[in-house]
Amino acid sequence: MSHLIAMSDTHEVTLLLAKWAKGNQKALDDLTRLVYRELRHLAASYLRKERQGHTLQPTALVHEAYVRLVDQTNPTWQNRSHFFGVASRLMRQILVDHARRKQAGKRAGIKVPFDEAVSFRRGRSRDLVALDSALTELEKIDPRKCKAVELRYFGGLSMEEIAHTLEVSEITVRRDLRMAEAWLRQEMTKRVGVA
Amino acid sequence: MNPERWAQIEELFHRATDCAPGERCAFLDKACGNDAELRREVEALLSFDANASASVGGTVRGGLEDAGFPLTGEIISHYRILDGLGGGGMGLVYRAEDIKLGRKVALKFLPEESVKDPAALGRFEREARSASALEHPNICPIYEFGEHEGQPFLVMQLLEGQTLRELIAAAGPGKPPLELKNLLDLAIQTLDGVDAAHQKGIIHRDIKPANVFVTHEGQAKILDFGLAKLASLWSAVDDRESQPLRRSVEPVVAHENLPVSTPDMLLSRTGVAMGTAGYMSPEQVRGEKLDQRTDLFSFGLVLYELATGKRAFEGDTGPELQEAILTKEPNPAHKVNPAVPEKLAQILQRALEKDREKRYQSASDMRSDLEALRLEIAPRYRPRWRALAAAGVVVLSIASAAYWFAMRSVKSSAALPAIKLRQLTSNSSENGVGDGAISPDGKYLAYMEREKIRLKHIETGETRKIPQPANLDTSREGFGGIGPWFPDGTKFLAASYPRALHAQEMTSQGSSIWIVSVSGGPPHRIRDEAYLDSISPDGSLISFETHKGKFLDREIWVMGPEGEHARKVFEVDENNMVFGVGWSKDGKRVVFQRQDGPNPADSYFVSGDINGGPLTKIVAPFAPESMQSGLWLPDNRLIYALNEPGFKVTTCNLFEIRMNPQLTEFIGEPRRLTNFAELCAKLQNTTADGKQVVLHEWRPHSNVYVSELQADGTRASAPSRLTLDESWNHPLAWSVDSKTVLFSSDRAGVDQVFKQSIGAVDPESLLTFRKNENITGACISPDGSWLIYMVVLDKGGPTNKIMGVGVTPADPTAKNDLMRLPMTGGPPQMVLTASIEEWPRCARSPSDLCAIAERSADSKQLVFTAFDAVKGRGRELARSNVDPTTYYHWDLSPDGTRIALLKNRDNRIEILSLIGGVEQEVVAKGWDFLKSVRWTANGKGLFVSGYGERGAAMLHLDLQGNAQLLWEHPSVVNIYGVPSPDGRHLAMRGWNVDSSLWLMENF
Repeated sequence: MSHLIAMSDTHEVTLLLAKWAKGNQKALDDLTRLVYRELRHLAASYLRKERQGHTLQPTALVHEAYVRLVDQTNPTWQNRSHFFGVASRLMRQILVDHARRKQAGKRAGIKVPFDEAVSFRRGRSRDLVALDSALTELEKIDPRKCKAVELRYFGGLSMEEIAHTLEVSEITVRRDLRMAEAWLRQEMTKRVGVA
Repeated sequence: MNPERWAQIEELFHRATDCAPGERCAFLDKACGNDAELRREVEALLSFDANASASVGGTVRGGLEDAGFPLTGEIISHYRILDGLGGGGMGLVYRAEDIKLGRKVALKFLPEESVKDPAALGRFEREARSASALEHPNICPIYEFGEHEGQPFLVMQLLEGQTLRELIAAAGPGKPPLELKNLLDLAIQTLDGVDAAHQKGIIHRDIKPANVFVTHEGQAKILDFGLAKLASLWSAVDDRESQPLRRSVEPVVAHENLPVSTPDMLLSRTGVAMGTAGYMSPEQVRGEKLDQRTDLFSFGLVLYELATGKRAFEGDTGPELQEAILTKEPNPAHKVNPAVPEKLAQILQRALEKDREKRYQSASDMRSDLEALRLEIAPRYRPRWRALAAAGVVVLSIASAAYWFAMRSVKSSAALPAIKLRQLTSNSSENGVGDGAISPDGKYLAYMEREKIRLKHIETGETRKIPQPANLDTSREGFGGIGPWFPDGTKFLAASYPRALHAQEMTSQGSSIWIVSVSGGPPHRIRDEAYLDSISPDGSLISFETHKGKFLDREIWVMGPEGEHARKVFEVDENNMVFGVGWSKDGKRVVFQRQDGPNPADSYFVSGDINGGPLTKIVAPFAPESMQSGLWLPDNRLIYALNEPGFKVTTCNLFEIRMNPQLTEFIGEPRRLTNFAELCAKLQNTTADGKQVVLHEWRPHSNVYVSELQADGTRASAPSRLTLDESWNHPLAWSVDSKTVLFSSDRAGVDQVFKQSIGAVDPESLLTFRKNENITGACISPDGSWLIYMVVLDKGGPTNKIMGVGVTPADPTAKNDLMRLPMTGGPPQMVLTASIEEWPRCARSPSDLCAIAERSADSKQLVFTAFDAVKGRGRELARSNVDPTTYYHWDLSPDGTRIALLKNRDNRIEILSLIGGVEQEVVAKGWDFLKSVRWTANGKGLFVSGYGERGAAMLHLDLQGNAQLLWEHPSVVNIYGVPSPDGRHLAMRGWNVDSSLWLMENF
């Protein structure tokens, strides 16, 4: 089967966004399923094909997914906000799922000197899992800050776009992020011992 | 945490971050009061504030990277995986470090599906091993095979650069990604690699843009040789995880031994076909048995795409594309991209013949055609990939080649033989090759590189340095000549020449002949004071020239193969010269050239018996003074390079003419062999069968170099190259603010004046001349508002008119126009017309003096006259008695009070005072002769150029004659200097020569 994006997908996503905006929760589920599939697909493509010479930016994936999934002939600001809200959360989920799988599947007994194995890298999967659980914690305390972080780092939105999406001022977004980042870094350190 | 507490912490956090770091404590003391817990929490947060954003962002990016490259950070076998490089049809590629050998490598993982058939994997491994064992510079080597948890991987050389696929993608749709010169160079390199593999019986089967890598240095490397067979093993697998973003399919290659699906089935299963399938040959599409010609078709497609920016065959679906490959004729490349020469289009058409019998039959055939094209249309092109823009530093390491290039119309080549030319060396202009000679069997090339002798195996490219002999006195002499070979192919001759300051006339004086053995050991000297000439057909006699007369050598001698039994065979008196010996087949008679007096027009051929007897004078049916070099072939043919009337001296073409066996007359008419437009190649030697001839191609260009001066100009930094192109660039002047260098360049085919700031990359054009006009010197008016320059009409002489060839005094009857151009823009206007010697010169404000030098009517005096940029000619300033036959260099001091005057090739500089002061003579201590003179910015010293042991030299000379060497440049051409008014920089002209050796066949 092909993963080429059919026109129907675009219509569907645009339609779902509209439905969701009107309060249809089922629409969000469907939307999530479509966007998730597309993001995974895009991520795989990027990673396997387009990597060379570029610095990977998850945010680029989300933007590409938006362009591909949302009808660009009639883009609305609302659609865009909603889409990025969903997509950045999904991106987080995709990456963390992968990191968890990788951690679980980590085999013991690599025959190398201990210091080499340790000093070389401290495990990006572990860091991401720690970030994820810190974010989950943050969401309980201050959901808006968690959302701001997701939009910023997993969705790649600008401060201005985040402000629009969260319906707050740009200054508030900056303050949210600064506080959240310091707090997350502190929490990650607690969780993995390294910041 | 309760919301109030959180809000409280956040509030304090933000307010604390607003405080200056030193004030935070005081603020927190006050704000937190007795709540120690609150204070602790805020302080902790503050301690994580720095770099928090980077930390979170980096974690997310790292996670993504891990998701794509799961092995990152692991250690597999003795490889430490550093990060992901990319991936394609073959699987993921990682950058890794070989812990054992400490080198960086690339690890390429093959998809797990590929190992389902161990036997197939074994076959693949064997083939890939043999391919990697080719060790060809244009094939990416495979170091090792390994397996990690059932996943096979191979360890390859880590390359830095990009694949053609990326190059094409970066150019954008429909745009050719490469300039023609780079395209040809890359194509030739790639075909070199393909040819090497084909010769070993290895077919690539999957040549495509993604499999041709171009390193940062511009070297082509073919990837995945021998791997295509493997690809067919898993091509049918539908990998849902890695569905491509763009419509493309993974390698889909038919394999004759596999009972798997035909390409057709594969294509229909994957549904789309724009990837590798797009580079399949018709026989591949049909699933037929493949031979090496499939690679040529595929490479033809790659080349077509590079040349036009478009695919030769297109189709929205696999079957459509296949249909196109099988039935459609591609649009001729030159119709798609008009910049493509028709000849390249023809080459492409032949590569893309559907019937492989009509196609190129070998990679070397295709390569030869491309090489001939390269030489024909752009003889001086060589790859230059690096963004030279990055170079504020010295760019000496970069191969630079193309120079001024005004395309002349080339005569019809209809009647010419289809000569094949093959480039044997590709050295940079800073490391040019000298003479070269091919071994009698055509296997080896002996050549000179920076006075060192090299021996290259022509097929493998393997090159050996011949050790320097202990008795070579390198302070006095150096190797400069190579060849000929002895008939048995075990030895050849080399010549050392004296390191004389101005060894522009090569004679036996100080020269020696050496024997070099292929089997090893340093060369040994067999004869001093001898100029190497030739070896008799049976190898029993070596001829040489000796006993320099008034001009060149006047005697021809022969000696045995070890230098024994030397005897004189011909001689002329001291006003005449003899050179260039050719032998009859039986070795009994020789023909040589004789020139009577200094004029090359008075030269002719003479033949005679080696053991004495009457001599025969032979008049050649061509102008002997136009002959640049000649080579006698074993069958009494003479091939000669002729500078034809109407062409620059840097252009010559090859002809051949036959002699009778007794060597007493030329038979028939000369036959033209080449039609080069802008190239002169020197004939070197030939193989025993006379079918291959080595040519030495020589292409000079010049650049502006800038040094930083210290200690009043007595010291200088290593110069950096300001102009980065490959034309003739000459520094002219500096802007009055000392920030910008003005220079002339003919990069666009005509002379132009540019200005360019130090450290800048792009120059700005100030002035463009007409095609027949040359700028020959310039200065800036004292107030900085005018560029004053001299222009002459081109009379067809050499392009390099500035400071290089000025050796005869100004002709009082020939006038130059002196012009002025407003520095702020506007049209140029005439200042005056005069017969000007050297350059116009101007002092610096507050002086307002400018001056020119003219000859008196009898040429015995140089008359200095003031002029003003606007008012024109002024009063006479001074006169000096000069040699009427010699050119003079001079400069006006920055304060306008003195003139420094240097006779060409002398080391004494006269200082004339314009205000009645004492005249003075400065003699450069330790330097024999000088070529140019400029005052330093403070007027207390002089910058003079001359020649040192290692080439052209720039010196600071104080007025007592003490010289400080500032720069030595390995060239034989003057590097005059132009100091900046603030005394901080010196712009100089550096001369670069690109040279390479070529093999000519099929003439």
